[in-house]
Amino acid sequence: MQFWSFLAIRLLQAFFVVFLVVTIVFFISRVVGDPTTYLLPVDASNEEVERVREHLGLNDSPIVQYGRYLWELVQLDFGESFRGGGTSTIGAIGDRSVNTLKLGAAGLVFALALSIPLGITAALNRGKLVDWIARFLAVIGQATPSFWLGLMMIFLFAVELGWFPTGGSKEGFKSLILPAISIGLLEMAAIMRLTRSGMIEVMDTDFIRTARAKGLTERVVISRHAVRHALLPVVTVLGIGLGRLIAGSVIIEVVFAWPGIGRLIIDSIFQSDFPMVQTAIIVLAAAISLANVLVDVSYRLIDPRIRAGSL
Amino acid sequence: MAQDAAAAVTLPRRRIRIRWRRYLGLSIPATILLTLIITGALADILATHDPNFINLGAALEPPVFNGGTWEHPLGTDKLGRDIYSRLLHGARVSLIVVAIVVPGAALVGTMIGMVSGWVGGFRGQILMRIVDLQLALPSVLFAVLLGSVFGPSLRNVIIILLVWTWSAYARLVRADVISLRERDFVTASRAVGAGDAWIMRKHLFPNVVNTVVVIMTLEVAIVILAEAALSFLGVGVEAGKASWGRMITEGRETMNRAWWPIWLPGISLLVISLTGNLMGDWLRDALDPRLRHLR
Repeated sequence: MQFWSFLAIRLLQAFFVVFLVVTIVFFISRVVGDPTTYLLPVDASNEEVERVREHLGLNDSPIVQYGRYLWELVQLDFGESFRGGGTSTIGAIGDRSVNTLKLGAAGLVFALALSIPLGITAALNRGKLVDWIARFLAVIGQATPSFWLGLMMIFLFAVELGWFPTGGSKEGFKSLILPAISIGLLEMAAIMRLTRSGMIEVMDTDFIRTARAKGLTERVVISRHAVRHALLPVVTVLGIGLGRLIAGSVIIEVVFAWPGIGRLIIDSIFQSDFPMVQTAIIVLAAAISLANVLVDVSYRLIDPRIRAGSL
Repeated sequence: MAQDAAAAVTLPRRRIRIRWRRYLGLSIPATILLTLIITGALADILATHDPNFINLGAALEPPVFNGGTWEHPLGTDKLGRDIYSRLLHGARVSLIVVAIVVPGAALVGTMIGMVSGWVGGFRGQILMRIVDLQLALPSVLFAVLLGSVFGPSLRNVIIILLVWTWSAYARLVRADVISLRERDFVTASRAVGAGDAWIMRKHLFPNVVNTVVVIMTLEVAIVILAEAALSFLGVGVEAGKASWGRMITEGRETMNRAWWPIWLPGISLLVISLTGNLMGDWLRDALDPRLRHLR
């Protein structure tokens, strides 16, 4: 298959997935609750309630509402929030998504910066102390509940020692460290295990033996030949990890009172703010789908042996 | 472990020690898992107190090894509830969730994976896009959405986690079936007139069952942590029920004064998910080393 048609098909598939997400989220969020109970004072008259329902279009049948919603989406109108005096949802999400991206990126940087060097070192020193430390970290990292770890770190480093703020994003880089570690630990463990086992496997292959036989220094053999090969599967895991990172950000944002999309969605769900929930979930789903397409594409570019659509 | 096996070839003298370690690697997690099953099943008998009995007079009593009394061996929480008894009943919640969700998701995921791999073509693609959908929808958000629609309850947690976890099986089983489809024994079976259902049951299923068992073991930890996370967010089990995730939320408020209400359920979670992962790793290496990239 040609590269461009492969890309086009993957993008179409991603679009279809996002469309399904839109549909599912629309119908589920219609069942969450009646927003008029939040929008109006308790003593509002029935007429007032009726007027607001009419104004928001809640009296039409769900199918009509769905059709209208899709039509607005096509025009890139994501609707207005039920709360905060009709601010546009996409605007509110734009601000929040920067924070979520920051958190996700910091978590990923933490995971990669620790996992790849440690994984390589562990593989090259099998059975030594560094290998044991790396394997211990991997096992613990995969088993620790991230929200509990976050709470424990808040207690130790923020409350007791006072090195970091207990939550929020006010102190810039300093307030990013604890949430980034909590969110990145699982990915760190996964990537390190993969790097380590990939390195161990590749160091045993013929082309490494050949490279050594050519008289290349060990340094060149490792950095030019072995590492490149060992990191190939990491790209795939990165794609799944990206999705997990975004999903994981929801709970970490709640623990650390981080003003990102995840917390916005949780708050909006409990306030029956349908338009906000819908837009936020669509944005997240689109981001994850796009990330998956990017991973597929880059994997194909890195390793021509992979035939598209084999998995 | 694969590398240990390789070491055994070059260093024959270490062989016995390595084999012993192999079984040690299984026996420790198996013992812990068995303990969870027993404590969860016998929570009513082993518990010394009603897990929900509130006694404000005995609030935040420390565990016995930290200056407490044997009346509450692991101390009490901010409402004076016995933590030991609550941990046992929390174990029961985890046990129920795992016992239903893991086999249930395995069944659904395996069937969809097998059918979509076998049928192929357009219909198979449609099935696979549904799996993708599950991956693109941030599962925590989806769970929170469902949880807030249907209200927090154990039944809803189970439904949510079924929806959340089935796709892991479907993807891997499908990949296996696609490669099996072209094998000679399948072609031969078809040549002698076997139907789709027969081939799937007799030829495909025995070849994917190892994969499924490995994922199931690894999913034990994922499911337990997910239940705890949902209960932590307030969309998990009912407010009255003891669950490790809920205990962590409640312990959060008194974190500065007392370590035990938040540490004990957290450590329990950590130990159980560690156990599940170690067992999954062991099984994977024993049954199907190709699955190394999982988790």
